[in-house]
Amino acid sequence: MNVLSEPVKSGHVTHTIVRSEHQLTVCLTGPLDRSSVPVLMSAIAPLQREQTAIVLDLAAVTTIDSAGIALLLNLCSKSGQARCSLLENSVSDYLRRAIELYSRTGHDRAPDLDARGFFERIGEQYVQRWASFSAFIYLAADCSVETFKGLFRKGMVRWNEVMTQTVLIGSQALPIVALIALLVGLTLAFQSAYQLRIFGADVFVAQMTGIAMVREMGPLMTAILVAGRSGSSIAAEIATMKVSEEVDALQVMGIDPRLYLAAPRVLAIVTMVPLLTVFAITVGILGGFIVGVFYVDLAPVSYLTQTIDSLVLKDLISSLLKSMVFAWGIGMIGLYYGFSVRGGAEEVGKATTTSVVVSIFYIIAMDCIFSIVFYVLI
Amino acid sequence: MNENALHVTDLTAGYNETPVLHQVTFSVRPGEIRVILGGSGCGKTTLLKNIIGLEKPYGGQVELLGRDIHLLDTDERNRHFQRVGVLFQNGALLGSLTVEENVALPLRLHTTLPETIITEMVRMKLGLVNLEHAVHLFPSELSGGMKKRAALARAMIMDPEVLFCDEPSAGLDPLTGAELDALILKIRQLFSMTIIVVTHELMSIRTIADKVLMLAHGGVAFDGPLLEAQESDNPDIQQFFLRKPPGPNVATGPLSDILFTKSNQSE
Repeated sequence: MNVLSEPVKSGHVTHTIVRSEHQLTVCLTGPLDRSSVPVLMSAIAPLQREQTAIVLDLAAVTTIDSAGIALLLNLCSKSGQARCSLLENSVSDYLRRAIELYSRTGHDRAPDLDARGFFERIGEQYVQRWASFSAFIYLAADCSVETFKGLFRKGMVRWNEVMTQTVLIGSQALPIVALIALLVGLTLAFQSAYQLRIFGADVFVAQMTGIAMVREMGPLMTAILVAGRSGSSIAAEIATMKVSEEVDALQVMGIDPRLYLAAPRVLAIVTMVPLLTVFAITVGILGGFIVGVFYVDLAPVSYLTQTIDSLVLKDLISSLLKSMVFAWGIGMIGLYYGFSVRGGAEEVGKATTTSVVVSIFYIIAMDCIFSIVFYVLI
Repeated sequence: MNENALHVTDLTAGYNETPVLHQVTFSVRPGEIRVILGGSGCGKTTLLKNIIGLEKPYGGQVELLGRDIHLLDTDERNRHFQRVGVLFQNGALLGSLTVEENVALPLRLHTTLPETIITEMVRMKLGLVNLEHAVHLFPSELSGGMKKRAALARAMIMDPEVLFCDEPSAGLDPLTGAELDALILKIRQLFSMTIIVVTHELMSIRTIADKVLMLAHGGVAFDGPLLEAQESDNPDIQQFFLRKPPGPNVATGPLSDILFTKSNQSE
């Protein structure tokens, strides 16, 4: 005997459940659209757990949208377990065409990305990183050699562009470098004076600040500032040119982008960073001088004499050499991430951020190597 | 209330206080495929941007699905635009999302549909544009045609009543372009969607257009059925359909008069 449930309204559609001995018939009336689907799904879900076949009667469905079709496809694709099907004569021509439109493909679905195993993913990462590192080495070598060769060939390097980059990387960075170096010098001197006072040795604050600024803080802070300011700018500029096909345009015009774009930036950064470093050291020592004279009560001449006496030529040479190596690396990393961009605006942002992070890592790693070479091995 | 899907009245629009379009008036009936055509710089994209509310017109009204979109507040407009789909010229897919996430985005933000249904709908729409294999790819990994098809799937995911397409077949190979045209016709036939297409692809216009709106000299040069447009003696329309370059005919223009006069004098 058939048992008829009360009609239930789910959004725009109304459903009635007719129970018979062998099956449950869900009769739908009205438009089967996205407002009806969530309620209808929760109404049908308990029925699917019963061991009875479910038949959907669509005879009174007036219109259907893609959410409605998705519901039908979803229910009927699980027909193996849920025994859900459409009542054959209830599917109008309109519904049949709509369902057919969305069922015409499905032969080439995307593979599941998570099918790769743990070790496969690690291996893939390793291969990708190694390939990136090799590409970086090739690009850095190419850019360096081309820039060096360009110096000796007339008209190969755009000196106007070198000057522009020099202003951007060098003189425009002076205020921020000065501010940071002054604060670092002040802080170093305060910290040293406080600690040395315990041993009655606060007169050595000049030596401490001078050595720290020249050997470490001057080149390190300048390089980190330039990485954040100019390295990111190089990466963003080149990456934008890459995604807008300007780099490709240069190539097809027979212009080597490494010489045209990289050389001015490399020359500017390699010359400017050592100069900025000297400037930062000077301002840092000035910061220490302020603390030494006004806080520790050292005589100004005595402070300067002690600073000069404490420094040796090796300190200055290592500092300048270090800053040149930092500068070269910042430039190359910016260029590498700029040139290796594929895709759109999103990738430009990623390249810029990555170039700064990698540059800072490079600076710290190289600083460590320099400290070992200059003050342990030599 | 207006029975038209779109009714534009005396629309004056442009950029930086320089009008590009003057007093444009036209209507699009529900279920119609209307092609907006015209030469480069005639204001097609300006018109589209004003219709979909991305630019505010200097004057006039845009009544879309019975509401003047420029009088709606932000919430009302957001709700109203759930009934509208837009296919942008370059796809405008979000670069940080996969194709699947891009297409599902409006459903996830605007509906309470269960995730299984959303996944099924995304699969259906991507199947419709033959992109089922690309669900996990990012836009940067797609070709130009694939981007456009993915963007079409996203534009259709909410089953819009009105679909705007800005240069749908531009940059596509003829086969893909023809497939896209066939798809537009099928969608209209099945879902009675109103489709407004901005294009200057002649093949595409001849295949899909019920009516055309030709823009020229900052206004409407022609508004009517495609067949009438093809038979029109309006010089702008003729130039467009017969692919003649703009400007006077050189053989009969003033330049030839000067040249012939000079050569006659020299003889």
